[in-house]
Amino acid sequence: MATLAKPIPADDEPRRPNIASADVQLPAVKDYEQVDREIIRTLHPTVAWFIGLGVAVFFLITGIAAWMYQIHQGLGVAGYNPPVMWGVYIITFVFWIGIGHAGTLISAILYLFRAGFRTTIYRCSEAMTVFAVMTAALFPILHLGRPWKFFWLIPYPNWRYLWPQFKSPLVWDVFAILTYFTISSTFLYIGLIPDIAVLRDRENISPIRKRIFSILALGWRNTDREWRHFARAYLFLAAFSTPLVLSVHSVVSFDFAMALTPGWHTTIFPPYFVAGAIFSGLGMVFTIIIPLRKWFGLRHYVTLNHLDAAAKLCLFTSLVVGCAYMSEWFIAWYSGNEVEKSFFANRIWGQWWWASAILYWCNMIIPLSLFWQRLRRSPGWLFFLSIFINIGMWFERFVIVVPSLSHEFSPWQWTSYRPTWVDYAILAGSFGWFSMWFLLFIKQLPVIAIAEVKEIIPPRLKRPHQHGIGPTGRHLDYEPDTPGEFA
Amino acid sequence: MRGVLGAFRELDATVSAIEALKASRIGEIRVFSPTPRHELEHAIDAGPSPVRRFTLIGGAVGATFGYWIAIWASDYWPLVVGGKAIASWVPYTVFGFEMMVLIGGLSTVVGLLINARVPRLSMMVGYDPRFSHGDYGIWVECPPEKAGAAEGLLREHGAVEVRRER
Repeated sequence: MATLAKPIPADDEPRRPNIASADVQLPAVKDYEQVDREIIRTLHPTVAWFIGLGVAVFFLITGIAAWMYQIHQGLGVAGYNPPVMWGVYIITFVFWIGIGHAGTLISAILYLFRAGFRTTIYRCSEAMTVFAVMTAALFPILHLGRPWKFFWLIPYPNWRYLWPQFKSPLVWDVFAILTYFTISSTFLYIGLIPDIAVLRDRENISPIRKRIFSILALGWRNTDREWRHFARAYLFLAAFSTPLVLSVHSVVSFDFAMALTPGWHTTIFPPYFVAGAIFSGLGMVFTIIIPLRKWFGLRHYVTLNHLDAAAKLCLFTSLVVGCAYMSEWFIAWYSGNEVEKSFFANRIWGQWWWASAILYWCNMIIPLSLFWQRLRRSPGWLFFLSIFINIGMWFERFVIVVPSLSHEFSPWQWTSYRPTWVDYAILAGSFGWFSMWFLLFIKQLPVIAIAEVKEIIPPRLKRPHQHGIGPTGRHLDYEPDTPGEFA
Repeated sequence: MRGVLGAFRELDATVSAIEALKASRIGEIRVFSPTPRHELEHAIDAGPSPVRRFTLIGGAVGATFGYWIAIWASDYWPLVVGGKAIASWVPYTVFGFEMMVLIGGLSTVVGLLINARVPRLSMMVGYDPRFSHGDYGIWVECPPEKAGAAEGLLREHGAVEVRRER
């Protein structure tokens, strides 16, 4: 019978570079020593890194100065125009929370699905998640008239005998985001412990750094007992993080969906927000990982196959988001609700047409280019596209927040909104804050998970085909039960 | 703690040494590897990790606490909104779920630390920094009279370095 399947190549056939197979994902990485050498090499600071850090700190200081000015002058300097009392701060809060989602998707969900392309990009994504949530958490506080009272949202025994309103979505947000930040940070740190032990055990390391790494590694020794419990704990943390990813942005969407405002009061918001969050996070992963793989000389770790696979995921989430946009239009028309129809007409053809156009082009139309494999395997195009996705996703939140509040039920409520320099400075400051943490991270800790990369490198063998191990390290007679082994 | 430490370059040599040491019953063994390997786990055959119990108990406690704090606070200061129930379990599921994840996740980490016996203050005996880079190691805890036999077995199966430690 004729078959379209390619014949299995002979063992001695030379492998083409950068082509992954079931058992060899990183053909250009030969042994464990190479992994240590090439990843640890990225930790040395360079002039370009110091310049980047200086730029990030400059933007951060600009944002802090603007916030100080706002505290002194009051929230009126932030461009709010009643009834548009949610503006750039809430937009940017949702934007950064969304950015954080791809990190947990890549590190936790793809871990449970044994997706091989996560291995070399998940550390970066996880760090991005933690720093993005740290950034997002600032914005509800910036949005408060009296930011020093933010802790009133946390339930604790107090002299006022007052407790938060547990039926309010804003209190749900506090719980969801604090949980997300804690679990994401824990997940990042637990995964880092074996790699910190590698850094600790280097020969040429200063005594101070050795001391710090010794404390952070918790005396990790790579014993079978440690790995056994580590693998199990990591699996359970991934299992907890997976529904957490879905819940956090659903809870954020409830901030809107629980209100009666046109454009917000819809049941599609939770899945729409989650898909959008993952889409925007993947955009930011490309923005970060593509320059890093070039500057750090890690193109044989984050290969074109990895970028291709991540791009397919990005395309899928773009299609889901596009479907959600079209559902919104359809339901606005099909519902027969005049307020909803009027609002959507204003959003698409009225005063906010330009913001909607940016959103639809960046999130729906340009990502369709990823149907072409040539573009999925082009780092330059992926980086370029990722910038569009970042812009498009910020505007998606703009289009959700501002047009709804500026075009509510009665014409006397209709108004406009224009951000001020304070809004823009704080927005820029948030990018400075995020970039500062990320730049500090990549020069202190490995940006690629050393221990997990070693898992997918064929181990050194004395006699091939012994104990169920093939010549490339592939298991022959039983399946691995250590999650992520062949990822 | 006395014993013999052997360092190996190859995975299969380590696996065969583990099997030989287990068969000879010289003493307790501890295996070091730069990354978790299923072959080693299979050879050691240590049984399931009890970390799952910490996760289950932590998750259950967290879910209970999440529901309890919301219901108790609502009952303590009743705010009637639109004639709806004072303690409304549907929105309180958010708290139950989030606290289940939070406390369940942190309990998992506690389970890892307790079972893996970290943090560890001293790690000098029976450890070599090369085990975090590329080599495998086997520590055999045994009295001095059995150390010779352990050394012989480790060398026979391909150890590149064998040394006694205490």
